[in-house]
Amino acid sequence: MSEIKKHDTPMLEDLKKGPWPSFVDDIEQYGEKHKKQSCFDLLGQLELSYKHKETHWKHGGIVGVFGYGGGVIGRYSDQQEKFPAIWAFHTIRVNQPASKFYHSSALRKLCELWDNRGSGMTNFHGSTGDMVLLGTTTEQLEPVFFDLTHQMKMDLGGSGSNLRTPSCCVGKARCEWSCIDTQELCYDLTMTYQDELHRPAFPYKFKFKISGCPNDCVAAIARADFSIIGTWIDDIRIDQEAVKAYVGGELKPNAGAHSDRDWGPFDIQKEVIDLCPTQCMYWDGEKLHINNKECNRCMHCINVMPEALRPGTDTGATILMGAKAPILEGAQLSTVMIPFIRLEPPYDNLKEIIENVWMFWMEEGKNRERLGELMQRVGLANFVETVKLKHIPQMIREPRSNPYVFWKEEEVPGGWKRDIKEFRKRHPA
Amino acid sequence: MDIEEVKQKILEFMEKKAKSKSKIYLKDMQRAIPDAKPMLIKKAANELVREGKLEYFSTGSTVMYSLPGQDLEKGMKEE
Repeated sequence: MSEIKKHDTPMLEDLKKGPWPSFVDDIEQYGEKHKKQSCFDLLGQLELSYKHKETHWKHGGIVGVFGYGGGVIGRYSDQQEKFPAIWAFHTIRVNQPASKFYHSSALRKLCELWDNRGSGMTNFHGSTGDMVLLGTTTEQLEPVFFDLTHQMKMDLGGSGSNLRTPSCCVGKARCEWSCIDTQELCYDLTMTYQDELHRPAFPYKFKFKISGCPNDCVAAIARADFSIIGTWIDDIRIDQEAVKAYVGGELKPNAGAHSDRDWGPFDIQKEVIDLCPTQCMYWDGEKLHINNKECNRCMHCINVMPEALRPGTDTGATILMGAKAPILEGAQLSTVMIPFIRLEPPYDNLKEIIENVWMFWMEEGKNRERLGELMQRVGLANFVETVKLKHIPQMIREPRSNPYVFWKEEEVPGGWKRDIKEFRKRHPA
Repeated sequence: MDIEEVKQKILEFMEKKAKSKSKIYLKDMQRAIPDAKPMLIKKAANELVREGKLEYFSTGSTVMYSLPGQDLEKGMKEE
């Protein structure tokens, strides 16, 4: 094996100082152990980028595996003479299992594969949720893909103008608040939309994210073009004895999450009732009362008193659309399109909505326009109609100042025109 | 319009555009063939890739299509 060449990296050395773990240490140790020149060339190029204050990666390319339009992101160094081991350093996205549960042997196999066919460096997990394998050459792509699919029963994730790998929270597997089976839904959507995941179909990226309850642990509301968030339509379940136990100090609020310092005795009025955003609850000293019709599912009271309060049992999901990070037009949170939908396999009701949205976006969306930007451009009222949803009163925050749903002439008996003479006969000026 | 007809139109469009642009968005194909449904165009373009008559070009966030053997560096400067 040829000798490893290390580069002079004074600025990266600085990153090794301090009490926190350093990625520089990790990469160096791995490179020394496995005699990987690519690790040291990677650090050398990073040092150069710090010095020049600009990246030396060339982004994009025709690399991929046969039949797939996503899952591999081409990366080339523009300093190929200085850092030959990373002249091609492609990224591979691997579709993670729902909720990111792994058997340790699966992870070992994946790491072995990557030690042999890649740089050995990974990112668990990328923002989209995929397992990210960092750095390999073009000729290794097909063998990696073959091993992943044939030996490990794993598949590539989404990238480019494709459906991105759907992701979900831990769901009913480990969370008592999950109102929907997030894992089953995530798996079902992944399998149903394989073609959209692997072959470019859209003007830009499209993300599904599924949270089991309004705590929204996968931040679907902030990141997904199509957010599915579990909710309930009946009443919050209350165990009045447990509420008393919280008030009496026998149970720790927030399941003891803030017990690192003394916050004083638990005050239900101050810490729960007064913080309710809709002011829909009160404590009479003996009993907690909740006006469930006013509850907006913020989950605060449930989070504070998990043994006393639980989501209802009549469950489904809220569908929101249009979130995105700030590339164009700034960051956007998603907008509620369907306040409540029941979600049971095979989820045909949900898929009908998804496909209507896609059809409209594929026809009307501009290149690199996310769904949220399209919604803004055409207007929410038009968007709702076009994707065959219904306008609902909850979509209007202040009816007298910002109505965006207007009556159309054909919806008003007699239309807009009126006979002024006839009117004056009945109403003299 | 059947898929073979769409594939033919896509290739004609790509060859015409190749003089000025090395890479084309799916959306541009859809604009150029307004009579065909977007889903059919997507299917046809992906079949052409499988047949080796088109290639994907991915930036990681977006995917474009090109004819094999194009000068993609030239295209990147244009984009």
